[in-house]
Amino acid sequence: MIKTEGLCKWYRGHSSHKVSAVQDVTLSIVKNSFVVFKGPSGSGKTTLLNIIGTLDRPSAGEVFINGNNVTRFSDIALSGLRREKIGFIFQDFYLIPNLSSWENVSYPLVPLGISARNRYETAKTLLEKMGLGDRLAHTPEELSGGQQQRVAIARALVNRPGIIIADEPTSNVDEETGEHIRSLLKELKDNGATILVATHDASFEKPADVVFKMKNGMIG
Amino acid sequence: MRHRTKTAVVCLCIIAILTPFLAAIAISEGIRRQSMASVEAGGDLYLTFDEFGRNTAIPLKYLDEVKKIYGVTKVIPRIIGRGYVQNKLAVIVGIDKENLPKSVSCVSGRMFEQAGEVVVGIDLARHFKLQPGDQFSMRCQQRKLFNVTGLFSADASIWSSSLLFMSFKDAADLFGKQGVATDFQIYSLPGHNSEIASDLYGIFQNEPYRVQDKLMVELYFKKGFMLKEGIFSALYLVAFALGIPAILVASGFGLSERKREIGIMKATGWHTLEVLELISFEQLLISLLGATIALLLSITWVKYFNGVCIAQFFVAEAGMLPAFMLPSQFLPLPFFLSFFFSLLLTMVGSIYSSWRASTEPPVASMKL
Repeated sequence: MIKTEGLCKWYRGHSSHKVSAVQDVTLSIVKNSFVVFKGPSGSGKTTLLNIIGTLDRPSAGEVFINGNNVTRFSDIALSGLRREKIGFIFQDFYLIPNLSSWENVSYPLVPLGISARNRYETAKTLLEKMGLGDRLAHTPEELSGGQQQRVAIARALVNRPGIIIADEPTSNVDEETGEHIRSLLKELKDNGATILVATHDASFEKPADVVFKMKNGMIG
Repeated sequence: MRHRTKTAVVCLCIIAILTPFLAAIAISEGIRRQSMASVEAGGDLYLTFDEFGRNTAIPLKYLDEVKKIYGVTKVIPRIIGRGYVQNKLAVIVGIDKENLPKSVSCVSGRMFEQAGEVVVGIDLARHFKLQPGDQFSMRCQQRKLFNVTGLFSADASIWSSSLLFMSFKDAADLFGKQGVATDFQIYSLPGHNSEIASDLYGIFQNEPYRVQDKLMVELYFKKGFMLKEGIFSALYLVAFALGIPAILVASGFGLSERKREIGIMKATGWHTLEVLELISFEQLLISLLGATIALLLSITWVKYFNGVCIAQFFVAEAGMLPAFMLPSQFLPLPFFLSFFFSLLLTMVGSIYSSWRASTEPPVASMKL
């Protein structure tokens, strides 16, 4: 379902030296699996997930999702793919500060032309499921780190994506919230989603079907 | 409207730029309208004598001859002069009662009938607290007392603000000039002005006379106002030049936050066009809000505060706060122009940077 071939990503620093973040990664992930990418900081986990999730373009190599070479997709096609198929959970949450919890969750629904009432209802249902039913009108700065991450997870799920990509989802939350996030991702996997997680957290290995260990941008 | 502070700052910039502009256009339009109305109500030709290139008094002995010209329907001799009432310079018009312009009507009291009677413009009357029945004298002839019989209003508040009417004879006595008028207002049949001008040449061929038609008078009016508007325009241009970068800076205010937000939008499935659509819609609302508030403020400024501070740029004698009702007319076109102008500025300030942010890979935009 997800396949990468010879994936590379490099950056040019100020001194014009090429810095490789991902080197020649070829892998295959089957549908409805729980995949964990492990490795130390700077090993290329986040960059690899960003490229697989179409948030970034590779310097070389190709990414196939459901048989489509997404590296050749146009900007519009990539946006469409993200809208329909992929949900992201970020380490830094990436919530919009001026918007309330329910507005953040329902933001991906705005361009779909869904009415504000329906967007609110959808967001409310998801936030209640995340235990944030009493925080609908709160802005991110009025929420704790764990609560913000749960809002971000609700946003990732609002379009019912088939692929969930989570980058260090538990690194900025307490242990209890971390456990809640892990079980939630497992539940999503059980409901048919494909889960890709980049993490330091060893406890993610338990629910994982596959664990890729990364070092220096390569899968070891 | 997601960024309240930014919205408020951009709106304030738009308001600061557009309010004087809309007020100025309205005043200018009001003055133009009044001046055109005054010209329209006047004669078709104005006849005076000419000395050193300036208008001078015309002897009344020519009145009957001019009246007899074919095509002339009416000739009105007038005396127009200036004199101090206490410390205020008033414009005195000596004209026979039956020849008073139709636009002049008494709001209290009655028109003058006998010698020594005058009617005073309501703004001048308000300045001196004059009422029908009051008496006053003028500085140039303090022994002569004038009786106020009525107060009048006219279509043209600028000119009537310091105006007083009296009989032709009283004016001649006041200025000590018998047997002359400052001008003859000639009313004619349509299309006869050139023939009348030829006949006037026949009458005045050895005299230094000057004849002006409505169009020329209209041009003088326009020239005068355009000169005063020019001063305002020059000052406004400076403010405007400073205002544009202010709007551009304010529109681009929080650029890094917006870039991050656009990255998040793209990551959650928004297309570039949808992002730009949302931002354009926001700029549209900001511009509409700013332009509407600017319009309301300019109406308040002109109508309720009588154009305080700004009137002097258009009416030389107005001072900081005009003593007369400042003419104004708010038209839809300047408002729409203002709206489109502010829209253009806010768009320039935000669309390009937003477009750049939304065409980058989301991960690059999300980084602060």
